[in-house]
Amino acid sequence: MSQSRQINLSKSGVPVIAIVALAIIFAVGLFVVGFDQGHIFSIAFGEQAFEDQFIHELTHDMRHAAGFPCH
Amino acid sequence: MSLGVNAMKTFIFLIIVLIAGAFAGLVHGSANLVLVEPYLDEAIGIENQNLFDSGEEDDTLEFWVEYEGYRDWQKGGQLLAGVILGTSIGALFGIVFALSRHSLPGNNNIKKALILAGIMWLTIYFIPFLKYPANPPTVGDADTVVLRAILYLSFIAISGFAAVGFYKLSKIFKGNKKVVALVGYTVFISAVFVLMPDNPDEITAPIDLVDGFRIMSVLGVSAYWIAVGLFLGILWNRFKPNKEVPSFN
Repeated sequence: MSQSRQINLSKSGVPVIAIVALAIIFAVGLFVVGFDQGHIFSIAFGEQAFEDQFIHELTHDMRHAAGFPCH
Repeated sequence: MSLGVNAMKTFIFLIIVLIAGAFAGLVHGSANLVLVEPYLDEAIGIENQNLFDSGEEDDTLEFWVEYEGYRDWQKGGQLLAGVILGTSIGALFGIVFALSRHSLPGNNNIKKALILAGIMWLTIYFIPFLKYPANPPTVGDADTVVLRAILYLSFIAISGFAAVGFYKLSKIFKGNKKVVALVGYTVFISAVFVLMPDNPDEITAPIDLVDGFRIMSVLGVSAYWIAVGLFLGILWNRFKPNKEVPSFN
């Protein structure tokens, strides 16, 4: 059965939910690769995450190569 | 149009944007492994030598075993980080492409996507790069990393929003007068370029190393932008997420 309700659209016709989802992915991905210094893992591991810098080390080479300040 | 069909088109749109970004990121990471890694190894080699000279580390077999494991981890991360960053930037690219597709020049989605990729490469990557170029390890004081991150991100945001603003302005003008907006962006971003503070850190590494690293960095990022434009254009042509959804056009 067809429903009459529509997905909300932006003025240009692109679904708002898609824009919001992509904007969140953009922000989170950019932070993870470009700027995290232990912040994300500190939610689970506390201050130790700032010492280990797990994500920083994982993204280290790309961080330099893509032009982000690393250390 | 039913909610179900609209939802499916939205889902397809999201999926092709994310796939295009992820695979372009894989291209970026792979290119970096070939182009950039030799310079990273050389720069980290200088850091190691500095550690030995200062007595902070000893040049022992144990050090090198630990170092090799550490570097393998970082090099492997290049690919994963490429996919994450590629998906992230690809998400932004997908938003802008969907919103601007009808205004972009070109008679098919591949050309349109490549043109947009070129515009975004210039405004949110290359112009900011000219002000705050990429640096290899050994360059950069840890005490200034937050300041440098703020400056770099701010310049990218200013350039990106200015490009959108002057594009909106161009719609007011007709015909050849649209060039006023292009001139306006050029003047504005030139002023921002001059006014924003320089990178506060002194470059102490060999200049040949720094220049070579920067050239390879530009080539790697440029490969990403070409790839993401190409991939999204091809996927858009193949799956047509806008078709049969009038409000998506």
